[in-house]
Amino acid sequence: MAYSGRLPRESLLWIFAAQFAVLLPHFARLPLWIVAGWVLAAWWRAEVSRGRRELPGRMIKLVAVALVVGGLVLSYGHWFALEPMVALLAVSFTLKNLELVTRRDAFLSLLLAYFVAATLFIFDQGIPHAIYGVLAVLVVTAALVAQAGAGSARPRRALGLSARLLAQSVPLMLLLFLVMPRLGPLWAVPQEDASATTGVSDSMSPGDFANLSKSDKPALRITFDGPVPPPEQRYWRGLVYADFDGRRWSQGFGVDPREGGQVFWRDNEVALPEVGPRYRYQVIQEPTRSQWLFAMARPHSATDGVGETRDDRLVRSEPVFSRLAYEVRSWPRDSINEVTPMGDFDRRRNLQLPDGGNPRAREWAARLRAQGLSPSETSDAVLSFFNQQFTYTLAPPSLGADTVDGFLYDTQRGFCEHFAGSYVFMMRAAGIPARVVAGYQGGEWVEGEEYLLVRQYDAHAWAEIWTGERGWQRVDPTAAVAPERVRNGLQTAAADEFMRDALVPLHRFPVLKRLQLQWDMINYRWYRTVVGFDSQRQQDLLRELLGQVTSARLALLVALPAVGALLGIWAWLWFSGRGRRAPPAARLYRRFCRRLARYGVERRPGEAPADFAARVGRELPHLGPMARSITTAYQRAAYADDPAALVQLRRLLRGFWPRLRRGPAPGQG
Amino acid sequence: MAIPPNAQGDTTGSWRRRWRLLMSDWLDRRAPPASQVVLDHRRLFILPTRAGLAFLLVIVLLWLLATNYENNLVFALAFLLASLFAVLPLHTFANLAGLEIRLLDTGTAYAGDFATARLAAARGKQRPGEHISIGWRESEPVTLQLEAGQETEVEITLPVVRRGLVRAPRLLIESRFPLGLFRCWSWVDLDVEFLVYPQPKPAGPLPLGESLAEGEAEQKRRGGDDFSGLRPYQPGHSLRQVAWKQFAAGRDLHSKDHETGVDSRLWLDWDLLGGRDVETRLSNLCHWVLEADRQQLAYGLRLPGRVIEPGGGDVHRRQLLAALARFPVQGV
Repeated sequence: MAYSGRLPRESLLWIFAAQFAVLLPHFARLPLWIVAGWVLAAWWRAEVSRGRRELPGRMIKLVAVALVVGGLVLSYGHWFALEPMVALLAVSFTLKNLELVTRRDAFLSLLLAYFVAATLFIFDQGIPHAIYGVLAVLVVTAALVAQAGAGSARPRRALGLSARLLAQSVPLMLLLFLVMPRLGPLWAVPQEDASATTGVSDSMSPGDFANLSKSDKPALRITFDGPVPPPEQRYWRGLVYADFDGRRWSQGFGVDPREGGQVFWRDNEVALPEVGPRYRYQVIQEPTRSQWLFAMARPHSATDGVGETRDDRLVRSEPVFSRLAYEVRSWPRDSINEVTPMGDFDRRRNLQLPDGGNPRAREWAARLRAQGLSPSETSDAVLSFFNQQFTYTLAPPSLGADTVDGFLYDTQRGFCEHFAGSYVFMMRAAGIPARVVAGYQGGEWVEGEEYLLVRQYDAHAWAEIWTGERGWQRVDPTAAVAPERVRNGLQTAAADEFMRDALVPLHRFPVLKRLQLQWDMINYRWYRTVVGFDSQRQQDLLRELLGQVTSARLALLVALPAVGALLGIWAWLWFSGRGRRAPPAARLYRRFCRRLARYGVERRPGEAPADFAARVGRELPHLGPMARSITTAYQRAAYADDPAALVQLRRLLRGFWPRLRRGPAPGQG
Repeated sequence: MAIPPNAQGDTTGSWRRRWRLLMSDWLDRRAPPASQVVLDHRRLFILPTRAGLAFLLVIVLLWLLATNYENNLVFALAFLLASLFAVLPLHTFANLAGLEIRLLDTGTAYAGDFATARLAAARGKQRPGEHISIGWRESEPVTLQLEAGQETEVEITLPVVRRGLVRAPRLLIESRFPLGLFRCWSWVDLDVEFLVYPQPKPAGPLPLGESLAEGEAEQKRRGGDDFSGLRPYQPGHSLRQVAWKQFAAGRDLHSKDHETGVDSRLWLDWDLLGGRDVETRLSNLCHWVLEADRQQLAYGLRLPGRVIEPGGGDVHRRQLLAALARFPVQGV
């Protein structure tokens, strides 16, 4: 295979640099063999350019393609997902390196690099990724610059030019970003694997929430439009667990929208309460890779793709793979007077218990039931039991087969899920419909930016019981044991145990804690202004800018900068196309000639200034002396470099305005 | 597009030919020939290259990606690249705008060879000119790198096929700076004309002492050994023709000048090459001229309607070659 070294070495190196820049963040995600393959291919191609090796022949290429396809099938098994897609792109990079011969190949590879750089943002839209993305695009563009070869391939030159070009593109980009309409998804696209969810999961067993409490990653950021709920009201409901199998609480059949659970997606299908909502807020949720959203009861959201379930939660039509913002209005339960009675199905569902197990708890529940107490009295009895003897701890001892019995009568030490789970068990056993609710509780109020930051360690589980006349009521069994958990958060409630395993115990150093909050604030801003800029916000902003969004005003917004830019370009073209600027003396002399030409005496091409002056004297005697002195001054200024003559020339010319009416008629009229 | 004057009219691509002629007419009106040209917006054209179109496709794909994933950063990237695409032509244009091209001189060449023209390219003070290629389509262009305010000389070559006064087609000056996504170009007519000599073709040995002939010029018809006068002897004159009688009589050494059919000097004569077509004759004569010049002989040229007396030296040779080059083209 003949190698025609059409691609110079430096342009090759630039291509590798661009590929490396866009692939680097993906390396962590990609299987190792793809990384190794890319390195191998780049090395091979570099060897070819050094003349030590031939480009691979057809057989080797076929084998490489076969290996790669096989590798992808083995690594992923399915294609319609984001990671295999990125892997495919990385692999095509790799294979293209083996036949990087012409300029066309180089362009193709670099255009592909832009695309790979974009896939980076699909995984993460945070600030570090955005900054890295800008750098990657800078490198790719520099690689394009370097393809011209010669001096352009010098790193400084290529990067400098690339930075200049990109910087000049920014204003137009911002305009486009503001006004280009967002259409919404045109078709379903592969998403990240939904298997590994983060945050609160769709089931709860002892120990789950204690694990979450080890993470200080942000979960929600909430801004309020109007009143802010007091700490003891900040229950962000995400999931309702109605099904208990003796150890694990889960949603149960027919609730999850993925399993056909009923969801109200449209405004008009929901009977909105008469009384206005008490809280209006926007939630910005970190990606969870699951469909449930977080809101206070009873929520309603007008954001597209967000619907309500029958158990008063919000869900989304698609899993949340990237930060998501949604608007919520909440009507606290006690503000709603009418109560829809509970159907048989729901009653059975919320009284469900496994057939056997936990005999001591069941026995106690039967005793409570026999006393004929009302639901709230039963609840109080259980809570006071918790209050007297129990300890709230992040490191609860492990439980035996009968988890509820073990917790209630043996260990008596537990975290929120223990309290909530046991409480609901007791209530159900006592014949009161009850359910476990999971989500977040509390949050840190960020001064300055005025938003509530909810972290993973704010994950919480509590309970709801059916009280008949007042419908579902929230009961937080943890509050009976550790009221400070609800008021002040986990850090106060479990000060000794809080974040004990953290690599860097940030929370112990107020300065670091402050910095962390600052960083979160910046992130939050970034998200509010850039990442969360959807069509709704676009409308709002345009309304703010234009007063009222009419097509005429919108056109004006686009047209004004466009016309300005066009005028600028026109002026610039006008000046840039004129070649070298003549020296001042020559310009002045040309002006002299123009004025005479207007008067009918035109300087012939190639006519020496002195000859011209003589001719002017002959044809227009009254201008002769003036023409002669101007010509002399010009000659002295132009050829003798006499600054005084230049001044004189300028002065003479100022008074030189030949008029048509004065003097004899010019030669040819 | 400029069309070379020696282009063959082929019937298959006649519409294309007509289009080219139209374009060429339009260009002639828009950018008339001049030996010095400053590239400006009237002379420069700009369009995306194929890579530029692929770049547009990438922008569209990115936009689709952003729309489907509702991802604002991908939107931002797509819009950034779109803006880049809008900014680029300005750079590409500015790289060429204001470039001054001047014809310094043109060389001569033999048909079938390359003719060379020397140009000066100069940049204004404001900005440099990078990766500018200058050349005729028919040959490999020269690539220039100009600093701001710099002036440089370039030699560009054009393959010439036919002898005669060849008018060069329009020069192509183009640049794809900075990203290769746009191509800015100009067809410049610097009024370049090459004098192209016939292609030398060997026609046997030099016709030493052969130049003659029946039906040649009248003054040579006298024939025989007619003595027509004496002239001072010069080295190279045949000893047989020395006027020994007069020498013996005490006069200087003279040669007898015989007006015979045989001329003692080397005449490269059109009529010696009868039976061949015009161009071949000219090519053969050209070869003889070069050969005679190489052997440093005194030689003259006889063409129908033109006679150049024998002589030597560079100027003489060029005069003869020019006469050959300018010989009227027959039957076209």
